[in-house]
Amino acid sequence: MENINYINVFLISLLYFWGSNTALSFGIGYYTLYRPIISGMITGLILGDFKLGIMAGAVVNIIYIDFVSTGGSLKGDQCLTAIIAAVCAILFRLSPIQSAAFSYAFGYIGILIWKYRLNINSIFVRKYDEKYKEGKNPNITIYNGVLPQILLYFMSSLVMLISLFLIFLFKDIVKFHIIQNILFLFGIYLISLSVINVLLKVKNKKGNFIFLISLFLATIFNFSYVFIILLLMILFLIISYKDFYIEKNSYLKNKENRLLNKWDLIYSWFIWMNFSHACYNFERLQGMAFAQSIKNIINKLYKDKINASEIIYRHTEFFNTEPNIGTSIHGYIISLEEEIILGKESVDISYIKKGMMGFAAGMGDSFTQVVLTPFYVSSALLLCLDNSYHLSLLAVISLGINILYISYTGFMQGYYLGRDSLIKRLNIIKNSVIKKYFPLVFDGILGACVGKLILLNKLYQEVNLIYFIFALILSVIYIWIAKNKGKILRRS
Amino acid sequence: MKNIVLTRIDDRLLHGQVVVSWIPSLKINEVLIVDDEYAKDDFMSSLIKESSPNNITVNVMSVENSAEYLNLDDNKNNLLILSRNVENIYKLIELNVKVSTVNVGGLGYSEGRKKIINSIHMSDSELEIFRKIELKGISVEIQMLPSDKVQKI
Repeated sequence: MENINYINVFLISLLYFWGSNTALSFGIGYYTLYRPIISGMITGLILGDFKLGIMAGAVVNIIYIDFVSTGGSLKGDQCLTAIIAAVCAILFRLSPIQSAAFSYAFGYIGILIWKYRLNINSIFVRKYDEKYKEGKNPNITIYNGVLPQILLYFMSSLVMLISLFLIFLFKDIVKFHIIQNILFLFGIYLISLSVINVLLKVKNKKGNFIFLISLFLATIFNFSYVFIILLLMILFLIISYKDFYIEKNSYLKNKENRLLNKWDLIYSWFIWMNFSHACYNFERLQGMAFAQSIKNIINKLYKDKINASEIIYRHTEFFNTEPNIGTSIHGYIISLEEEIILGKESVDISYIKKGMMGFAAGMGDSFTQVVLTPFYVSSALLLCLDNSYHLSLLAVISLGINILYISYTGFMQGYYLGRDSLIKRLNIIKNSVIKKYFPLVFDGILGACVGKLILLNKLYQEVNLIYFIFALILSVIYIWIAKNKGKILRRS
Repeated sequence: MKNIVLTRIDDRLLHGQVVVSWIPSLKINEVLIVDDEYAKDDFMSSLIKESSPNNITVNVMSVENSAEYLNLDDNKNNLLILSRNVENIYKLIELNVKVSTVNVGGLGYSEGRKKIINSIHMSDSELEIFRKIELKGISVEIQMLPSDKVQKI
């Protein structure tokens, strides 16, 4: 296949919109659709070559495995890179490593959208503000949920069209043997950069040892890791189930006379999960989303519409937290809003919200982004490289389930058990066994992935070993320079 | 005098960027949160302590106690000072705490604040305090992450 039709283009743009969006996907799109291995796989399905799609995605994923997003910071757009890589692999018959290298630059086009989006979304905030101040009672759902999404859809479709146009411009050039070799070496360079970065970050002698052992087992004996990975996944799920389990007895104990029922909470949680980053902007980050998620609660508590819209408006203030660990804040704030109506409390809600959000974000990111996500995603990669494509899907789905579970229990704990539940949660994360041993596991999985990748490449092409080593050395030099630049900065 | 490696103004205090990026990159092992309100608030103080990584000492102190503490002998720790607002840092400087640079890493929007650059919003009075700090020969740097470029106000 050398061509792509309109329906393909439409579906691919839709995939990119949905994947890069982090909204409208039950809060787990960022952990599933956005991940290169999944977006590459779906692109493969659209273009009729599932296997090549998932492989190209997997290589892009390894290039991005060293990256951690905190507070909205990003290295490059992995989702766009993976989609383009899958398209290149399938249409131009490039190997997964070559197509990942070829599409690497597109990550930087994608990142522009993200930055621009955080700016442009402020327009919706201002419009909402204006309408409120004119006394027009604006609907937060429209300004947070609907309008920014429509804009994003057009923006991401445009970027996708431009990207596809660009790769077709280069279509004939990538057929040259020398270009293919350069791409391959650039790919090796990128992979080695990412892997060395992880090893340096973990910086653990045992970890390095495990890395080498699993690399050795994978390359020399083509050892199958499927069983080990499945075992680890089950272990992870059991431990986090136990950790975040809600004590059912403490439910409802101190809560009689309530105005809200469980469905109100579930609905509010549902809205938060789908729209937490729908109108993400530099001015208030998730503020608009918080307001939208609490809308049904406030409307139920306040019969007077004018009062309700004032409270919702107040909730649009600056807010940002880790969206899954931090849900205890939502639950707790909802319980406070209810107490106020019941006349039991008078509290400064804004002070409490702002006080709790940053800490939940710090601890939360260090768990969901630094431990859970890389574990499941790298497991998925290894399973994929081990030829168990369907199981690799299972790994990503497990990540989604884990995230949903953590987020749901947090929301309910916050409401039923109060603010101490957040402290308890953070304490669990701090002393988590998973967190403690994860770096070693990660090194091991990564070593196995690299080993499998080396084996896999033998299938695709023969490459001059000297060039190969040259690419590796280049990546080491790059990292050395980057590290020492940091030292010079620190000195000044 | 304690070894202050970074003095940061960030309204989310110990959040993701700080825990995941700044602390490892500057090898910080002690954090001091300067805040009168939180120092009095038991819940916030314990939340702050619980939410910090195990290998790091975290203290929450009022401005006055902080100044006293910082001027004690060096305990060989790499110390990070965090504050929600510029006022507290200015008070510290007034109380003779030697700060070489003030890092600004996040001031969200609120009524009366204007956007300076992305993620940094200041009111006129806050801007004035920053100017006063600069007049004392202390440089004020806007920088979200260690890998970001430094910007001036």
